[in-house]
Amino acid sequence: MKRFSYYLSAMLAGLLFSALTFAQSRVIEGTVTDENKSPLAFVTVNIKGTNKGTVTDKNGVFSLEVKPSATLVVRAVGFLTKEVGVGTGSTLQIVLSESASDLNEVVVTALGVKKEKRNLTFSSQEVKSEEILRSREPNIVNTLAGKVSGVQVTNSSGMPGSSSRIVVRGITSLNGENQALIVMDGVPVNNDETDNPKDGGSGSNRLSDIDPNVIESINVLKGAAATALYGSAGARGVVLITTRKGGTNRKPSVTLSSGLSFEQSYLPDRQTSYAQGEHGIYFDGLTTATQNKNSWGPRMDTLRVNGEKVAFHNQAKEFFKTGVSTNNTIATEGGNASSSYYLSYTYFNQQGTIPNTDYTRHNLFAKYTTQILSNLSATFQLTYSSVKNNIMPQGWGLENPLWTIFAAPVSYNLKPYLNADGTQRMYRSGRNNPYWVLDNILNTTVVNRYLPVATFVYSPTNWLSFTERMGADMYQDQLHYHINVGDVTYTNGAVLSMNQTLRQFNHDFIVQLRKDFSTKLNTSLLLGNNVYSKYNDAMSATGLGLAKPGYYNMASASSVTYSESSALIRKVGFYAQGEIDYNRTLILNLSGRYDGSSVLSSSNRYYPYGSAAAAFIFSEVLSDKLKKTINFGKVRASYAIVGNDNVGAYTTNTPFYQAIIYGDVSSNLNFPYNGQNGFLISTALGNAQLKNELQKELEFGLEMKFLDNRLGFEASWFDRKMSDGLVQGIALANSTGFSSTTINSARMQTKGLEVLVNATPVRTKNFSWDVTMSYTKMNNKVTEIGAGLNQTSLGNTWAIVGQPWGVLKGTKFARTADGQLRINASGLPYSDDGSNILGNVTPKWMGSITNQFRFKQFGLSFYFDTKQGGQLQNADDGYNLFYGVSKVTENRQDRVVKGISDATDQQNTVSVTGQQYYQQISGITEAVIQDASYIKLRNVSFSYSLGQKTLSHLPFKNASIILTGRNLWIHKSSNFSGPDPEANSWGNSNSSLGLYSFTTPTSRSFDATLKITF
Amino acid sequence: MKKSILVISIFTASMLVGCKKFLDVNDNPNLPVTVSEKLLLGPVEAGASTYIANGNAAVLVNQWMQYCVPNQPMPNTANYLVTTSTFDDYWGSFYTVEMNNLHVLNLQALSNGNSMYAGIAKVLMAYTLGNATDFWGDLPYTESFEGTGISTPKFDSQESIYNSIQLMLDSAITALNEGKGSKPGTDDYMYSGDMSKWVKMAYTLKARYYMHLTKAPGHTAAAQASLALTALESGMSSNDDDCYFPYAGSGTSSSPWYLHFFSTTTLVLASHYVDSLVSRADPRLPYLVSKANESGLYTGNVIGSGAGNIDFFSVPGSFYGDIASNGYVLNAAEADFMKAEATYIVSGYAAAQPIYRKAVTNNMLKLGIDTSSTAAQNYLSKRGTLTAANALQLIIEEKNIANNFSTENWVDWRRTGYPAISLIANDNITSLPRRFLYPNSEISTNGSNVPSVKLTDKVWWDGQ
Repeated sequence: MKRFSYYLSAMLAGLLFSALTFAQSRVIEGTVTDENKSPLAFVTVNIKGTNKGTVTDKNGVFSLEVKPSATLVVRAVGFLTKEVGVGTGSTLQIVLSESASDLNEVVVTALGVKKEKRNLTFSSQEVKSEEILRSREPNIVNTLAGKVSGVQVTNSSGMPGSSSRIVVRGITSLNGENQALIVMDGVPVNNDETDNPKDGGSGSNRLSDIDPNVIESINVLKGAAATALYGSAGARGVVLITTRKGGTNRKPSVTLSSGLSFEQSYLPDRQTSYAQGEHGIYFDGLTTATQNKNSWGPRMDTLRVNGEKVAFHNQAKEFFKTGVSTNNTIATEGGNASSSYYLSYTYFNQQGTIPNTDYTRHNLFAKYTTQILSNLSATFQLTYSSVKNNIMPQGWGLENPLWTIFAAPVSYNLKPYLNADGTQRMYRSGRNNPYWVLDNILNTTVVNRYLPVATFVYSPTNWLSFTERMGADMYQDQLHYHINVGDVTYTNGAVLSMNQTLRQFNHDFIVQLRKDFSTKLNTSLLLGNNVYSKYNDAMSATGLGLAKPGYYNMASASSVTYSESSALIRKVGFYAQGEIDYNRTLILNLSGRYDGSSVLSSSNRYYPYGSAAAAFIFSEVLSDKLKKTINFGKVRASYAIVGNDNVGAYTTNTPFYQAIIYGDVSSNLNFPYNGQNGFLISTALGNAQLKNELQKELEFGLEMKFLDNRLGFEASWFDRKMSDGLVQGIALANSTGFSSTTINSARMQTKGLEVLVNATPVRTKNFSWDVTMSYTKMNNKVTEIGAGLNQTSLGNTWAIVGQPWGVLKGTKFARTADGQLRINASGLPYSDDGSNILGNVTPKWMGSITNQFRFKQFGLSFYFDTKQGGQLQNADDGYNLFYGVSKVTENRQDRVVKGISDATDQQNTVSVTGQQYYQQISGITEAVIQDASYIKLRNVSFSYSLGQKTLSHLPFKNASIILTGRNLWIHKSSNFSGPDPEANSWGNSNSSLGLYSFTTPTSRSFDATLKITF
Repeated sequence: MKKSILVISIFTASMLVGCKKFLDVNDNPNLPVTVSEKLLLGPVEAGASTYIANGNAAVLVNQWMQYCVPNQPMPNTANYLVTTSTFDDYWGSFYTVEMNNLHVLNLQALSNGNSMYAGIAKVLMAYTLGNATDFWGDLPYTESFEGTGISTPKFDSQESIYNSIQLMLDSAITALNEGKGSKPGTDDYMYSGDMSKWVKMAYTLKARYYMHLTKAPGHTAAAQASLALTALESGMSSNDDDCYFPYAGSGTSSSPWYLHFFSTTTLVLASHYVDSLVSRADPRLPYLVSKANESGLYTGNVIGSGAGNIDFFSVPGSFYGDIASNGYVLNAAEADFMKAEATYIVSGYAAAQPIYRKAVTNNMLKLGIDTSSTAAQNYLSKRGTLTAANALQLIIEEKNIANNFSTENWVDWRRTGYPAISLIANDNITSLPRRFLYPNSEISTNGSNVPSVKLTDKVWWDGQ
C-alpha cells in the first residue's frame, strides 16, 4: 500500500515537471466549437509544418503564438480535421464538423474516457441507439443478442420478465460470476438474477429494469487489456452503457413513441394421434380407476366410446394465448448555453402468452448537465424504475402448469378444472390441473429501483482535469408467491413473502493529464481511485396452511417460518493509465491497478495487476497510392494480467446456521422448534487463506478498411489463462465432515477468434445497402481444478479437467466393445452404471449477419444469428417419451431393437412394443441429450420516415413508423424436439445451464411503432 | 497547482489508512461462529430421526425388505436399480450433518466440562456410526471430521469401527453418569434431560452391536449373546424408554414416514408386508396399515408389477404414518427381542419363551391394543409359542414388526435369514443386496481410499 502511494506521487510529480510552454512573436486567441456552437475542449491545435501547438480549454479557447503565414491544423476526437489559415486578426472562430466517417469514430472506454476508435489498443464493439431500439426487446441484454462478436446472450424462456445471460469472451470462472460487468454512465449497475420462483423457473436479470429508450450507445469492452481499469469485476468483460443527454443551445423538443406488439408462442411439437391409455387400451381419466398419465391408448381417429368419437384437444393451443405488449415513451430535451436536460418516461406493458402472466415497467429518467463555473461542470441524473411481474413457476415442479399442458392426453378435456365436490379434476393423480394453477398459483414481484449519479468535472487548465463521480444503485425487490388450498404438494396452501434490498455505492476520483510534447508526440495520464460497496439483504417468510382458500395473508398461515440474510462486500482500488501516441501511428498504453477486496483473506487482501498494449496504424506509413485502396490498417497487441476476487462474501470462515432439517415434499423441520432454537455447523468449510485469482490474456488484433471505407474488418485473437482460480463450493469428500469448501487452485484456458466484417455493396444518394457479419469461435478447456479433484459439479453441468467448461453428464446406453447396443433378456436396451460425459453446453461457434437497406426515407433491415454446437438435456423428453407424448412416439409399432442380446451374445431377436421401448429409454440420460444449435431470423425491421418536404407542412420535426418482426423463423437441429433450444429453464445462473424443462416457449412477435418529434 | 497535488496526496493517504478498516467486513453478521451446546443438541436429535433412523436410506432399506415400493414402473430402486449416486444423499446426511455436528458437540462439551452433552453426543455418534457401518462396512472414521486438514480420510475396517463403537458407548456411559456441567432440558427432545434414559439407551446400543457380531469372523454367537445379556441388564426395559423424536404434526414438523408416503412421492406399502399382516390376522394391522383410499381394502403393491393406480394401495396407518407420528430411533422392544434371541442362543428356546411372549405383548400395548382382546389372544395363541424349530424365525419376525421401518430389520435378515424374502426379478442382480454401494460423491473426491464393492458383497460381520 505504502509503496504504491509513493509510486503514485512520483508519477504525478514527473508529469507536472514536464509541463512546458511555448513562446513566439504574435499571440492569437481562438475558440473552437461544434456546428451547434457548443465549445469543444481538448481540441488539438497545431501549427502546420512545425511541432508546435496547444490544446483548447473547457470553453474551447486556446491561445498560440504564430507567424502571420501559419496554418493551423485543428483536430478533435469525433470531428473532421480542419486546416485554418491564421490571417492577420488576433481572434479566430473555428467550427468543426462532426465526422461522418467511422474512421474518426469516438467510443467510450473504461471509466468513461472517450477515445478515438482508430487509436484503441484493445477490442471493443459499439451498438448504437437505433440498433437497440430496432430490436424492440424490452430487456437490454437481449438487444445485444447476435450483435457483438465474442458476446453470447442466452434468453432463458418466453415468460414475461425472464432473465437473459450475457457472457463476454466465454466464461472466466468455474462457478463464480461469469456475466459481464454492466456500467452505466460510469457507475456499475447490478444485474443479479432475482425472484426465481420457489417452485422452479427463471427470475429476472435486474438490468432488465432499465429502459432501452434512454440509451445512446452500448460499448462492449472485451479483453482484459480493455477492462483492466475496472478492476476485478472487469475481468468478465464490460458492457458500457451511455445514456442520452440534451444538447446545449438546443430548442426544447418532445419525442413521442408508441409501440404495439403481438406475440405468438412457438409451441412444442408432439404426437396427436393417440389417446390416453396403456398398451392401446383407452383410459378416459374420468374416474380414479381410469386416471392415467400415459398417452399409450388407441388411435384417436378410430377410437369410439359408445359409438361416439372422443373430442380432440390441442392442449397447448387451447392453453396459450396471443401476448400483447405496449411500449410508450415521451421524452423531452433541450438546453441553453451552459445547461442541458433530458427527461424521459416510458410505460411498458406485456401480457404474456400464458394467461395471468404479465410484466409492467415504468421508467423515469432525468439528466441535467450544467456549467457551474467556467471550469467546473456537473451532471446529475436519476434513473427510476418500477417493475411489476406476474409469473408462474417453470421447470419440472408440480406447481408449473406447463408440465401437465405439454404432457396432457389429446383425448382429455382439462376443463372444467374442478369436480362437483370442489376438488381438482385431472386426467392423472398427484398433479395439478394446469387451469387450476392459472387461477390459484401466482408469483408476483415488485421492484422499485433508483440509480442516482452525480459527476463533477473540474478542469483548471487545458491539460488537467479532475473528475469526481458518485453513483448508487438501490432497489427494493418484493416477492409474493401464493398457492391456494387444494394444491397437490401444499394441500393446505402456502404463501411466501420475500423482501430483498440492494444498496450499491460507487465512487471514482479521476485525474487526467494530457501533454503534447510536439505535434507528433501526444501523451496522457490518468490516475484514479475507486471505492465500491455492495450490500444486499433478504428477509423471507414462508407460511404453510391458509386460514381459508384464496386468503393469502402471511399472518393467518398456520405455520410461519422466517429467515433473513445479508451480505456486504467492499472494494478499494487505485489505478493509473498512461498512453503515448506517436504521430497517430504508434500508440502505447500502460495501465495498472491495485485492489483491495473485503471478501479475501485479511492477509491476502490487496493485489496489483496491469496491462500493456500497443497499436501500430500501418496505413499511416503506406504510400498515398496504396492508401487509396487500404484506407486504414492497424495491428495491435496487448497483454494483461487482471486480479479477480470472484467469490461471495463470508467464505473465509465456517459459521453455524439456524437448523433446517429437510423432509420430503418441501416439508422441513425448522428451528426454533417447540420454543427451543437449534444450530448446525455449515457444510461449507471456510477457507481463511483465500487470495485473488489471476486472468492473463494475450491478444492480437488486425483492423483494416478498403475501397473508400466500403469494406472493413476487425479481427481479434486472444488467449486467456486463468490461474489460482477461486472455486466456491467445490466438493469435499463428505467423510471430512464437510461437503464443500472454497479453493484457489483452478486453471482454465480460453482461446478465441472474433471477426467483424462491414461492407457497403451499394452506396448511392437514394439507396444504400450495408452488411455486417460477425463470427466468434472459442476453445475453452478446464486445465486444473485442484484439491485432488478432476471434476466438480457446477449444478446441472460439470467442470472436468481436459474438457470445455459445462459438461453434461449422465447415464449412457450400455454398449458392447464395438459400440453396439446391449439388449437385455426382455429385448430392451438399458443404461450402464456410470456417470458419463454426454455433451457440453458451450457452443462451437456463433455468428450473425445483418443487412440494412435504405431507399430514400424507407429502411429495411434484417438479421440472422446462429449458435452452432453445444448440447442441452431435454427433460421434457425424459417425461414425454415415457408418457407416449413425444413426437417420435407417434411411431409406436412393435420392434426388434438392433443390438447384441446379453442372453445369446447374438443379434437381439426379442420383439418389444413401442411403449416398452420408449418408456425404457426415457430413463437413460443419453436418450435426451440434444443438439442446441440454431439459426434465427432474430429481427426484421421496416421503417419509413417522413421527408423534410412533407414535414414542413406538419407541426413535427420528425415522424417515422417502424414495423418489426422478432424471432420470425427458427431453424433448429432435428435432433432437438422442442421449439427453441435457446432456453435455460431455471434462469441465467451457471448452475442452470443446459437444462430444458417445461419452459414457457419463446414467441414470434410483430411490432408496430410510431415515433413523432415536435 | 501545488494545492491540488496536496489535496490529492492528503486524500490518497487518508484513503490508504482508512482501507483496512473499511475492508474488514467479512464476518457474517447473520450467522454465529460459535454456539452453545444447548443450541447444538436439538438439531442432531432431529437429524438422528429424520436423516438416520427414518431417512431416505431407511426408505431404500424398507423397499429391499419389501415393506414398501414406489408406485412407478419397474425397474426401480425397489428391485435394486441403484447407482453409486443413489447413495450420495444418505452419506452426506450421515457425515456432514449428523456425525460432523455430533463431533463438534462432543469436542465442545468436553472442553467446556459439560459431560452430559458429551455423553449424549457419544451415544448418538455410536448410533449413527453403527447404522453407517451396517450399511457400508468399512468407513472413514479415525481420519474423519478434520475438514481440509485431512481431505482424503482413509477407510477403517468395520471390525475396528465396532471396537470404537463399544469404547465410545462405554465412555458415553461414564460421561452421562458423571453428570457434570450444564444439564440438557427442553433442548433434549428425546429424553428431556433424563440421563438415566440415555444410559439405558447406551447399554441397549451396546447389546445391539454385540448381537450384530453373532456370525462375525472370530466371534461366536454364544459369547456375543452373553455380552448382550449383560449389557441389557442396564438397558431399556419398558416402552417408556423408547428413544424417539416427537413431531408436532404441522407443515413444518411432519413425521418422516408421513412425508415419505405423501401422495406426490408415489411411495406405497408393498404386498409382501401388508399380506403377511393380513394373513396372520395381526391385531396391529389397522395401526400399521391404512386402507386404500378408493377400495377401502388393505392392499399393497406387488413389487415388480410396476405402477398401478395409487388410490388402490395402502400407506402406513396412524401409528407410524400420521403427520404427528413419532420418529422412532431406538425401540425398547428391540431390547426385549434381543434378550429373547440372546437367551435362546445361550439357554435354548424354552428359556426364551416368556421373554419372547412379553416382548410381543409389550409391542401390542405400545400400539394401544388391548392384549386381552380376542384378536390379540388368538394371535398370541398362534404365534406366541416357541419351538426348537421356529424359535429364531418367530423372534426375528416379531422383532421386525415391533421394529417397524427400522433399518435394524435388514441387519437381522442378514444375520439370520429372517424374515424370508425373495429376489425381485431384475436384469442387473442375481441375489439379494447385502450392503450399500459407496456413494459417487466419495468416489469422485476420495477415490483412492474407497474400496470397490458390489451390492451383493457381504460386510465383515455378515460372515465370509
